[in-house]
Amino acid sequence: MEPIVMVFAWTMVVIVLAFIACLFEDLESDEGSQSNPNSQVQLAPEMGYIHRYYNKAISGEGLSYALACTIAGTVAWAMLSTGITPLIAIPFGAGIGSLVHMIRATIPHLGRESAHKRFEQPIYLDVFFGHLVPIATHNFMAVVCITAIAYIQSPSGPLAAITGLPVAANNPFPLPLLCFIWGITVGAIGSSTGDIHYGTERLFQDRPFGEGRRVVYHGQICRYADCGIRTSKDVVAFCAKYGGPATGLTFGLIVLFENWRTLIGMMAGGLTGGSWSPGVAAGVGIVIGLIIAVALTVGNLYLVKWARKKFGPFVGE
Amino acid sequence: MGEEEKAEEKPEEKEKFTLHFPNENNLAIIAVIAGVIVSILPVLPAFVKGIGAILVILWGADSVRKTARYGLGTGVPSIGVLAMGYGIVGGVTGIVIGSVPALGGGGIVEPGVLVGVVAVGVVGYISGILANNEKFIGMKIPGLERGMAELGMAGALAVIIESSMIAGTWNAAVVIPEIIETGVIALIFILAAFGMLQPFNSCLGADERRGRTLLVSVEIGGLNCIIFGVLASLIQGMAQGVPLIALGAITWVLFYSAYVRACLNEAHSVVGTGLIKTMR
Repeated sequence: MEPIVMVFAWTMVVIVLAFIACLFEDLESDEGSQSNPNSQVQLAPEMGYIHRYYNKAISGEGLSYALACTIAGTVAWAMLSTGITPLIAIPFGAGIGSLVHMIRATIPHLGRESAHKRFEQPIYLDVFFGHLVPIATHNFMAVVCITAIAYIQSPSGPLAAITGLPVAANNPFPLPLLCFIWGITVGAIGSSTGDIHYGTERLFQDRPFGEGRRVVYHGQICRYADCGIRTSKDVVAFCAKYGGPATGLTFGLIVLFENWRTLIGMMAGGLTGGSWSPGVAAGVGIVIGLIIAVALTVGNLYLVKWARKKFGPFVGE
Repeated sequence: MGEEEKAEEKPEEKEKFTLHFPNENNLAIIAVIAGVIVSILPVLPAFVKGIGAILVILWGADSVRKTARYGLGTGVPSIGVLAMGYGIVGGVTGIVIGSVPALGGGGIVEPGVLVGVVAVGVVGYISGILANNEKFIGMKIPGLERGMAELGMAGALAVIIESSMIAGTWNAAVVIPEIIETGVIALIFILAAFGMLQPFNSCLGADERRGRTLLVSVEIGGLNCIIFGVLASLIQGMAQGVPLIALGAITWVLFYSAYVRACLNEAHSVVGTGLIKTMR
């Protein structure tokens, strides 16, 4: 088959895996109020709002995913180097990464809730134990996809095995380093996109939506669920309907647009032999990238204007 | 007599599972001495290097706590990553300079590696001055200059010691193909960074206690030793790897359980399940 067709095919696989990875990454961070919403969960007992959320402040999502994915990538790399098939090495590595992630997740809940002693926040053991397995399983789904993406791109993976492409098309990074980079990226996208849905729609469900949170509301989070007292697991069920898929779509679209423009540029530059011209390839790629960026900016501005007109006016407008 | 009775009637204080960590200055001195000895003697077995790495990471975590407790919330992970960013620069510089034969590279005692550590300490101190001085950024964080210098040095020592734990030596001829080109350097970066940034980030709050926070750092150091031990068994063989894994496993079990017990004892209350306190 034409090499460029194979590259497109593998890119599609990478995009689907990126979608699934970021979907589960966002849900996993909601499982324990990691990242931005964590500041409100952390502040709540200080304002007198004793809660039953899981306080999972491992660090930023980017770093905690870098940890899990790098461990997964290193274990997978070590197993691959001994000749084990990727179908076993990648899930096994991801399992080890998720196990370490789960151990890391136990530390902050205990540490931060016991540091809230003077605000009379108890440690609820059912909250503590009940969230660990969902954290590990959601994390596993994200990490296994990221490790698979890194394997596809790594020098020993299927993309590098496609012959007939210019040398510049292969990336030089080894598997653990690719896992590290992809882990930081998936965490960053999950943190910037998904947290809004959790933070403003779920933690402040009883406040007017769409105007930002005023400082007087800080820490006054919504502590009751549709039935009973809310835990972080209820948040996941809610975010799985919209926030998680939207986050996955964001990451998938980023990977799609980025790779698509590069591949179109490579095709325009001529793929093999004497006709290969890196200048044309880079130039066409950059121009297509600029067009995509302008189109997205205009579309987003229009969307925001439309939404404010339809659902506003908001306080301060 | 009366006093004795009074003492008996006292309610039994909850036992605090505290290792009596030395104070900040003494801990820094112990960690520097251990770190320097372990890094200039790459012939030491891997599990001795593991003890040095645990101490150095503990020092880094204490520096993060010292620097970040003046109200840095989300900045805590950034400080840890900054430390390891300095660490990679200083560590690789030291590894390359230390491998020059004129500076003792290839001998039994190889002091050249400390050039990178000192250099990154100086750079850290200068960046602390730039951040704190009113003429420049003016953040006015107490002790930031010392904190940045310590973080850089701890990071550089961590990179050097952990590289030599995995590869058996930090000589550039071995480390560049075995650690850097294979991407294991990313693992070293993130594991050492977690040892420094996670303890304070995970324990901060009004009732944070230094003894409890530092237990996490040693626990992460133990976990790191297990992972590096597996890699060391692959690269250097079982004789180096298995003692390192054993050291890591014992450290991890001891300090993880000590941390959990400390948290459960010092929390306001620990309940199996329960409702939340109704508002006011």
